Amino acid sequence: MISPYLTNLAVLILIYIILSVSLNLALGYTGLLNLGHVAFFAIGAYTSALLTKAGYPFVFAFIASGIVASLFGFLLVLATRRLKGDYLALATLGFSYVCYAVLLNWSSLTRGPLGIAGIIKPNIFGWQIHSTGEYAMYALIVCIISIMIMMWIVRSPFGRLMQALRDDELGLRVLGKNTYRIKLKVMGISAFFAGIAGSLFAHYLTYIDPSSFILSEIILMITIVIAGGLASIRGSIVATGIILLIPELLRFIQLPSSVLGPLRQMLYASILIIILMFRPRGIFGRVDLE
Amino acid sequence: MIFSQLIVNSIIIGSIYALVASGFSLIYATNKYMHFAHGVAIALAAYIVYFLSLHISFPIACILTILLSGCFGVAMHRCIYLPLQKRGASTVILLIASIAMLIFFENLIQLIFGADVKTIRILEVTRGIDFFGAVVTPLQFIIVLVSLIIFAALFMFMKFTVLGRNMRAVADNKELASIVGINHARVADYSFFIGSCLAGVAGILIGMEQNLTPLMGTMLIIRGFTGAVVGAVEVVAGAIVGSYILGFAENFGVWYLPSGYKDAIAFILLFIFLLFKPHGIFGIEKGVKK
Repeated sequence: MISPYLTNLAVLILIYIILSVSLNLALGYTGLLNLGHVAFFAIGAYTSALLTKAGYPFVFAFIASGIVASLFGFLLVLATRRLKGDYLALATLGFSYVCYAVLLNWSSLTRGPLGIAGIIKPNIFGWQIHSTGEYAMYALIVCIISIMIMMWIVRSPFGRLMQALRDDELGLRVLGKNTYRIKLKVMGISAFFAGIAGSLFAHYLTYIDPSSFILSEIILMITIVIAGGLASIRGSIVATGIILLIPELLRFIQLPSSVLGPLRQMLYASILIIILMFRPRGIFGRVDLE
Repeated sequence: MIFSQLIVNSIIIGSIYALVASGFSLIYATNKYMHFAHGVAIALAAYIVYFLSLHISFPIACILTILLSGCFGVAMHRCIYLPLQKRGASTVILLIASIAMLIFFENLIQLIFGADVKTIRILEVTRGIDFFGAVVTPLQFIIVLVSLIIFAALFMFMKFTVLGRNMRAVADNKELASIVGINHARVADYSFFIGSCLAGVAGILIGMEQNLTPLMGTMLIIRGFTGAVVGAVEVVAGAIVGSYILGFAENFGVWYLPSGYKDAIAFILLFIFLLFKPHGIFGIEKGVKK
């Protein structure tokens, strides 16, 4: 039997693979600088947790988590449609911050900083998941299906439109394409998968609180996407594994947890800066970040 | 009674935000990228003055802190931003790098000083003075006074000194400034030094007024940035006025909203301005939407 430590790590890596690949869809393929991805993750987690708490079946909550997150994705594009570059980045960063503040303060719905405890383990059409091993299986299935769908999207004609939008928005408009609608769709899809990852996360830990969705999480996601390479799904998958495993090495040195937490964040931040300085295309990247 | 207290509080908090915003926008004006790590320069200054004041006399500690922050700013510019710019990095990459630095140094502070709250005890805690029906402590008087003196000095510096004029020239048009023989690389260095010295002053005053926490840098730079956007990012005077507006919005906003939303007010204001008036109240319409 595989040790619980490794299964735990595997589930987290699977969740982050979905997150980083879906972020890559927006950031790498379409060139939408989205720092609000962590908000979609949070929205998905809370939607799924609250719906199952309210007694709705798990499968319904799972799908709803994706749909609600993608609705917020539409909203974000709608609100920021006139912005570009760093202004867009900051507006989306603001979105994740407002989302965090709402989760923390809307106590009647989210129980604020206390978080939601006792989230049920998934039950998929009679398949009741109990152990972590089973959960890892379930996460693997969800992850593979999500990746396949996203790969299919990227290779479809719509995927080419996305990349064209990144390379030359004006040119695409000249060809008569509605770039705004493409952005809406991409953000919707990207947020959908982030929401699903949120649902995976919530039902795995069975407890969520706003502190899981803070600003530094977005740095981790961006680090993964840039390290793997923009516009490369394979890169994001590989980089998720590498970047989540590196801090695990710190565990072998016996360090108190008060040191481990900050050290891990510092490691992520320095990896990001080093990659930006020395290898901005990442492992498998084909394009530069504009 | 409560009304005049709210006005006084708004002015005090507005002065603090304006100290943050003035340095930030000074750096933005000459360099044209968002130096988000400015927030952590302030937090670092607060911690340095806390540490130094335990060992040496307070005035010397203050001077040392201000100089050290200035050097810290220049070091960030030289070691991170300049190499990135030489590689042809866009402003978005510089923004991501600066957020990464923000996270890095925040966690470094947490690692060195611990996560618990620190206080600088230089002035003994005294009863506030009654001021038009509002209670003000002597320290708050000092904060408002010092910031007003600094803003006046900054204004004179930008208006009447050669370096200030060169800075405005570079801010207006880098290429033209180079043609008339202004060394824009040196101006960038100076702007980082002066902007980060302002961060040092801000750190000392904020450290005395509020408690020191490792995460204070993020909170402050979000406010400073919002103030800058509300006024105008590239006009220092505008950024200062914008910060006071933010101070008023926050204090009067919590009259209606639960106090936990105080953090979100900044972002709501930021969102409104980014959507409808991205150049700010005093801004010139150029370069925002590209």
